[in-house]
Amino acid sequence: MKNRAAVVIIGGGINGVSIAYNLAKAGVKDVIVLEKKFLAYGATGRCGAGVRQQWGTKQNCILSRESVKIFENIKDELKVDIDIEFKQKGYLLLAFTEKEWNQFHKNVQLQNSLGINSKLLSPQEAKEIVPFLNTEKLLGAAYYEKDGHANPFLTTLAYAKAAEKLGVKIYKGVEVFDIHVKEGKIKGVYTNHGYIATEKIVNAAGGWSQEIGKMVGVDLPVYSERHEILATEPVNEILGPMVMSFSYNIYCQQTPHGSFVMGYGPKETSKSMRSTWQFLETMAKKVTYLLPPTKNLRVVRQWAGYYNISPDRQPIVSSCNEVEGFYMAIGFSGHGFMLAPAVGVIMKDIILGNKLTWDVVLDIGRFERNEIIKEPSVV
Amino acid sequence: MDDEKIIVCRCEDITLKEIRDLIKEGFTTVEEIKRVSRAGMGPCQGKTCGPIIAREISRITGKPIEEVYKPHNRPPFGGIFFKEIVGETDEK
Amino acid sequence: MNVAIFEEKEFLGGQLIKQTHKFFGSKDESAGIRGIYIAKNLINEIEKTENIDLYLNSMVMGYYEDGVITALVNNKMEKFIPKKVIIATGAFEKSIPFENDDLPGVFGAGAVQTLMNVYGILPGKDVLMIGSGNIGLIVSYQLAQARANVKGIVEISDHIGGYLVHASKVRRLGIPIYTQHTIVKALGKNKVEGAIIENIQTHEKKEISCDVICLATGLMPLSDILNQINCEMKYIPELGGFVPIRDENLKTTVENVFVAGDVAGIEEATAAMLEGELTGLYAAYEITGKFDKRINTIKERLKDLRKTSSKVVNGLKKLNLYEDFIVEPHESLGDLHKTGIPEEEKIENLLSSKKERFAILECFQKIPCNPCVSSCPTNAIKMDGLNEIPKLDYDKCIGCGNCVAVCPGLAIFVIDKKKESVILPYEFYPLPEKGEFVEILDREGNLLERNQVLSIRKMKDKTNLIEVKVSKENLKHSRHIRVVR
Repeated sequence: MKNRAAVVIIGGGINGVSIAYNLAKAGVKDVIVLEKKFLAYGATGRCGAGVRQQWGTKQNCILSRESVKIFENIKDELKVDIDIEFKQKGYLLLAFTEKEWNQFHKNVQLQNSLGINSKLLSPQEAKEIVPFLNTEKLLGAAYYEKDGHANPFLTTLAYAKAAEKLGVKIYKGVEVFDIHVKEGKIKGVYTNHGYIATEKIVNAAGGWSQEIGKMVGVDLPVYSERHEILATEPVNEILGPMVMSFSYNIYCQQTPHGSFVMGYGPKETSKSMRSTWQFLETMAKKVTYLLPPTKNLRVVRQWAGYYNISPDRQPIVSSCNEVEGFYMAIGFSGHGFMLAPAVGVIMKDIILGNKLTWDVVLDIGRFERNEIIKEPSVV
Repeated sequence: MDDEKIIVCRCEDITLKEIRDLIKEGFTTVEEIKRVSRAGMGPCQGKTCGPIIAREISRITGKPIEEVYKPHNRPPFGGIFFKEIVGETDEK
Repeated sequence: MNVAIFEEKEFLGGQLIKQTHKFFGSKDESAGIRGIYIAKNLINEIEKTENIDLYLNSMVMGYYEDGVITALVNNKMEKFIPKKVIIATGAFEKSIPFENDDLPGVFGAGAVQTLMNVYGILPGKDVLMIGSGNIGLIVSYQLAQARANVKGIVEISDHIGGYLVHASKVRRLGIPIYTQHTIVKALGKNKVEGAIIENIQTHEKKEISCDVICLATGLMPLSDILNQINCEMKYIPELGGFVPIRDENLKTTVENVFVAGDVAGIEEATAAMLEGELTGLYAAYEITGKFDKRINTIKERLKDLRKTSSKVVNGLKKLNLYEDFIVEPHESLGDLHKTGIPEEEKIENLLSSKKERFAILECFQKIPCNPCVSSCPTNAIKMDGLNEIPKLDYDKCIGCGNCVAVCPGLAIFVIDKKKESVILPYEFYPLPEKGEFVEILDREGNLLERNQVLSIRKMKDKTNLIEVKVSKENLKHSRHIRVVR
C-alpha cells in the first residue's frame, strides 16, 4: 500500500469512487480510496437502485438531472465496457392525500422549470402505465419517463475501473481507525495496514461518516438509520417504472434481471444492520395491496443498510471550517446512489477550488446560515 | 477442461470461466463475486456455488478458504410467497 | 416442557428414511438396525409424546434478532418465540465442477437415494458414481439392489473414502472403484450419455457410457440459520467446512442456541443421534435446572464412538474440544484401501482353522461396530472395545450363521469344508429357490462356477442367508451369488 497520497477518500461506495474518478480525470495524481470491506459493501450495495429526477428541491433536481445525463452516457464518460443495467422506464409517484397531490403540483412545476419534463397523471393514466396498479383512493400520479434504476454494484465497479485506469489506487479491506490532525490541518490517516500521509481527506463513509467526523473532532449533523429492503425471484418483465408512494410509504421496482426489489421507510430507527420479520410482514401487506399480482412472487432475500440522514434530506458535499483539508460527501438520506455522478464533479470542484459546475448549495454552512429547504419527497 | 462449459452457479448460470475472469480482475472474495456476477443470488442462495468459488479463489490467490469466504445467509430461507406472508392462500 | 419440531418435508426422519442399510456402532445405538427402522422407532416415540408439537411441511424462514423464528405453517408465515432453539438441519451436498455439469442426468447422491428409496423411482439404468465415501459406496450398493447397473465408482484420492466393508460389498457385485481418478466431462447433447474420467497421475482418460452421473463428493453443514444469526463459525475441513463454535454441550456462541448432528460437523448418523439426545437433555436442564445424569453417559458414549475417527476428533480439537483425547493411529491395511479386497495373506490366516465348519470374519478395519459379539450363541466372538477388530474363537464357533445375518458390513461368511458349502449374506431379489443353480462370484464379482443352492434362510431383517454348494478350491473365494433365470 502507498504511504503518501494527495487525497485519501474514505469509503468505497459509489460516491467514493465517483469522487476519485473525477479528481483523477481533472489531473489530480496520487488519489487513494480506502474501503474497509469491499466496493459497495455499505449503502450503495444495499440500496433500492432508483434513479429519479422528480424531486422537491432545486439542489436535488439539478444533481439528479445532471447525474442522469452521465448515467445515460456512462460508457462514453468512463470509457470502460461495463453495462450498468440502466433501465429508463420512469418513476411513477403516487399521490393518495390532498397534501401530497398539492406537493406534486409544486414539484412538477419546479422540475419543469429545471428542464425535467415530468407530468401529472390521472389515476386512469397511471393505470395505463402499470395496468395492475390498485388505484383505490389514488388522487393522481407524477411521472417522468427518463427516471429509472441501475445496478449499483456494476455502476460502482465501472467508476472504480475508470478511476484505476487514471491512476487511482483503491485498497479494499483497509479500515481507517484514526485521522492525524495537527494545528487544525489534516496530516494523515492511520489504518490497519499502516499510516498514510496526506493533506486532504474526503469522508465518503456513508453510514459510518459520523465516526470519521469524530476522528477529526467534528460532530457532523448526520445520523444513520436502518432501512430494509427485499428481493424476489426473477420473473418476466411486468413492471416498467419504479412505483413509489410517500404517504403509503413504499418503493418497488423490477430489475432488468427480473427480480423485484422493494422497501419502505421505517417508523423506528435502529443501528442494527440485521433485517426484521416486521419488515417482511409490512412490506408484503403493502406491496400486495398496491400491486396485487406480486402476491405470487417469492421473496428470496431480505437485508438492511444505512441511510445517512442530513437535517434537510439533501447531501452535504463540503469542505470543513474547523479542519483544513477535511472534506465530506455525506448525508445522502437514501439517495446517494443516484446523485453520485454529479456529486463526484462537485466534490472535485470544491477540492480544486473551482467554481461549482452547477448552481447548487450543498455546503455544511447552510445549516448555520439557516438556508434550509427540506426535501419533501423522500421514502 | 473447457471452463466455459462448466456451470458453477446453477441458479444464475454462471460459468467457471466467468468466475476465473473475475478473480483475475481482483474480486477475491465470494461476497464480491456474488455482487458483480449474481452467482449465489438465486433460489439456493449460494449453497452450491459458494464453496466451489471459494476453492477457486483460494487455488488462484493462495489465500486460505476462511479468508475469502464467510457464508452469510439472509432470510427468508428457501423463498416464501408474499401471499404466504400475508396469509392469503386462495387464488381469487 | 413443550417442544415444537419444524420440518420442511411432509414427513419426519431426515436422511434416515432413505437409509436401507444396517447401521454400525454399538448395540446401544441401534447398530445392526436399518436406518429406515431406526427412523420408524424414533417417529413412533415422537408421535406417542403428547407435549411435542409437530409442524410438518413447515420450513423455518428466518430467525431474527428479537428471538422470533418465522416458519411456514399451512402455507402461512407464523411466528414463534422459543426459550431454547436446537438447530439440527443436517448437511448439504457438495458439488464439483466439470464440463457439462448442468446436463440432465447429473444428480446428487441424496437425490438419487430419495428418488429410489422414498419414491421408488430409479433415476436411470447405467450409473457412474463419483466419490467413494460411505455415501458413494452405500448408494452404489442400493442402486445395484434396485437393479441399476453401476458402471464404476470414481475416487480422486488414492484410497477408498468409506468403510472398507462397504467397499467390499460393492466390489463383489463386480463394480470397479477407480482410485486417483476424477470426472472431467459429462457427454451427451440433451442428457447424460456418458462421462470421461481421468487418471490424475497419468492423465489417461477413459470414457464410460452411462445415463446417470451421481455425485457423492461430500457433505457440508447446512448452516444457513446459524449464519443468519451471526453465530461464530470456524472453517474446519475435517468437519466438512464451516461449523459453529460450541462447547461440549453443543451450545453455540449465540445465547440459547444449540446444534446437533451434521450441522455441527459431518459425522456418522450414530453420532448425530447421540448429539441430539445430549442437546435435548442439556437444553431441558437449562430450563428446569434439573441435571439429568444421562448427559454425562452420552458424552462418554460419543467419545467411545469417536475413538477411531481421527478426522472428526482432529476437527473437534480445533474447536478446543476433545483436547486430551488420543485417537488411535490408523493401521495401514495395504491394498485393501485401494481395492476394497482383502489381501490373500489375511484371508489365509482366517482359514487356517482345522475345524470343518466355522465363520470367516472379513473385518479388518477398526470401526465402531459390535453386533456380531452379542449375536453369537456360544460367545465365540470377542472384542476388546467397540472399535476393535472382532476375534473368533474357532474352538467355540459352531458355524451357525447368526453373525452372518447381523453383520452390518456383510463381512462374515460361514464355510463348511466337509459339506463344501458357503453361507453368504444376500440382500437381493429375486431369492433363489432351493436346489436352483446360481452363479458363484468371487470378491471382484468374477464368475467362479455355477452351483446349487442348498438352503435359504429368510431373515426378519431381510439379510437373508443363502447356503450354496461350492467346489473345494473355491470355498475361500466365493462371496456372492447371482440368480440367473
